[in-house]
Amino acid sequence: MSSNRIMTVSRAMSEAIAQEMRADPNVFVMGEDVGAYGGIFGATSGLLGEFGESRVRDTPISETAFIGAGVGAAMAGMRPIVELMFVDFFGVCMDAIYNLAAKNVYFSGGNCKVPMVIMTGTGGGYSDAGQHSQTLHATFAHLPGLKVVAPSNAYDAKGLMTTAIRDDGPVMFMFHKGLQGLAWMASPEGAATELPEESYVLPFGQAKIVRPGKDVTIVAISMMVHHAMEAAKALEKEGVDAEVIDLRTLVPLDRKTVIQSVKKTGRLIVVDEDYKSYGLTSEIIASVVEENPAYLKSPPRRLAVPDVPIPYSRPMEQYILPDAVDIAAAVRATLGKKAA
Amino acid sequence: MADIAIPKDLWDVGKTPEGIVANWFFTEGGSVAEGATVAEIMVEKSTFDITAPSAGRLHISVPKDGVVKPGAVIGHIDSA
Amino acid sequence: MPSKSQFLWMYETMEKARYYEDTIAVAYMEGKQPKFDIGAGPLPGEMHLAAGQEPCAAGVCVHLRADDTVTATHRPHHAAIAKGVDLKKMTAEIFGKKTGLAGGRGGHMHLLDPAVNFACSGIIAQGAGPAVGAALAAKLRGTDAVAVSYVGDGAANQGGFHEALNLASLWKLPVIFVIEDNSWGISVPKAKSTAIKDNSLRAAGYAMPGFHIADNDTLKLFDVAGEAVARARTGGGPTLIEVETYRYYGHFQGDPETYRPKGEVAALKAKDPIARFRKTMIETKVATAAEADAALARAKAEVDEAFAFARAAAYPAPEEALAHVFA
Repeated sequence: MSSNRIMTVSRAMSEAIAQEMRADPNVFVMGEDVGAYGGIFGATSGLLGEFGESRVRDTPISETAFIGAGVGAAMAGMRPIVELMFVDFFGVCMDAIYNLAAKNVYFSGGNCKVPMVIMTGTGGGYSDAGQHSQTLHATFAHLPGLKVVAPSNAYDAKGLMTTAIRDDGPVMFMFHKGLQGLAWMASPEGAATELPEESYVLPFGQAKIVRPGKDVTIVAISMMVHHAMEAAKALEKEGVDAEVIDLRTLVPLDRKTVIQSVKKTGRLIVVDEDYKSYGLTSEIIASVVEENPAYLKSPPRRLAVPDVPIPYSRPMEQYILPDAVDIAAAVRATLGKKAA
Repeated sequence: MADIAIPKDLWDVGKTPEGIVANWFFTEGGSVAEGATVAEIMVEKSTFDITAPSAGRLHISVPKDGVVKPGAVIGHIDSA
Repeated sequence: MPSKSQFLWMYETMEKARYYEDTIAVAYMEGKQPKFDIGAGPLPGEMHLAAGQEPCAAGVCVHLRADDTVTATHRPHHAAIAKGVDLKKMTAEIFGKKTGLAGGRGGHMHLLDPAVNFACSGIIAQGAGPAVGAALAAKLRGTDAVAVSYVGDGAANQGGFHEALNLASLWKLPVIFVIEDNSWGISVPKAKSTAIKDNSLRAAGYAMPGFHIADNDTLKLFDVAGEAVARARTGGGPTLIEVETYRYYGHFQGDPETYRPKGEVAALKAKDPIARFRKTMIETKVATAAEADAALARAKAEVDEAFAFARAAAYPAPEEALAHVFA
């Protein structure tokens, strides 16, 4: 169904949560400032008013306790959604995530379910420095047992959130702060989208070709999808027809769509806002090369944060974050073209 | 036709004289239901939802990022 | 009672911290009006100000030496000033300049100055462990240096805080844990986050002395902190102090504070701790109004100079981001 309602990612998330809370009394939310404040990044805005303090629970600053409690509540049959305000705060609760949430299904031989969603803010670009600006996709995708979602727009965010809540295992829902459409943080055009009123699901593990093209494949996720699209637009003027793929989920990973695309274009650029080494970018390239290195007509390239903490000062931070200019340059390099 | 106006007492102009239209949630000419949240106003870091006064077609007169004061008309609704 | 020089030092330090925060509050809004974009202006990113919490810094740090360690929170400026962090370099860091403490890499939540053993972190309660470590280092080396760990009342509900208290007490380490209870963890009031009303009672669980300082009282804190530091220096082990303090600004600058009861801040400002301290200092004839005014003028001049230095400084070159990842 088409709608003329244009919604931000944060509102799409809270709408998906509200619809699932109406449909299933087992769904509840907890985290820091999720109540009256509505979530620091707006993901729970309006929920307290409709559902009350019992189902929209402000927690103490005690991530080990409330994320651990999320695991226990999920195993007891509830469907908790817990918010880890910034993904950077994972350090204080990693045992609950890494050793409990992610592994208890396996430890029970599939006899236990852990239907919880951990939603968490990622990304930099607004000078919040190294403890509040990381992306850390690979940290969670590396670990067997977690599904990992990172939407680039409101439509995907709503459908993927609904799927996440209905999943019987733990899902990391990694939303980029700069895509939320918050009035106080710049957001790229295209993050807010037409949003159907009714509830819908989007399957995990299905990448989306957001721009079909024949010359080069640009694989991106989350914020980097927007930079990739901007680069593709710039390249179009130079006669380069780039295909842009939004992975949408890191786990499960839609390798098939990427491989099909590279088979067609013969060139591959992968872009991620996470650290470069041991990350999504190398995973994608390895997946293509494992399938058939002959698909590549030139060496693939990866763009990610060079292996440094995210610096505070604007010139340094903007330098280390991949952007459209970097992506276009990588595309030209892989095509053996000179800069326009 | 019904004006979409920012409530006169939405914020203290003594402290912050102006706000901005942070978001429109419907496209120009889109049909909206009465009471639907059509826009979001930001004053410093506070945001306020603006709802449709009636059902009909939305017409935007102050675009996203436009500067506004309390009482300002930011658009109107043509009854369908 | 503090000596005259201690009185004047605490007064000047608190005024300096207050003027510093109020100056930042104004500068922070540059480039952010009428559209508030957190990434815009000369001071981008989050900004957590400590105006109202100055007693916690001055009343404790007055007892410290340069070789003592302080670990502070994400709201660190007052503590950094009281510990003697280089004000020019600190301000340049907050402006993201090349001449900053970390050349612009850290910003306002990550101020590290080894010259005075000061560090802070944006991760709640995570200064507690390093303070225990600094105290352990002092004990192993046989010095009488101490460490102070500042945490907020919200952080007192973190596991890391409790583990640090236990370890410090178990090993009888010279640590003073200072909880700055400003009643709020972002939007959540202490009553809705903390099972116990008075966190100093938690000291009993770790077999260490616990003290509660009511109503942001600099002089009472001076006494209690003085005893705690003396106890730590002489092998008496750790102390927990909770100070009931005030948060005049929001959690961060631009915080709409819709959660906060109307009139709360005005009521707190009516009993401002610095004004109270100054009044006592003059009424008890420890110092004259002229001496207080001179201290205030010095404080403001130093802050103004630091801001001028920071504003005039150059930004780092972009590729400087790649330096200093490894030692």
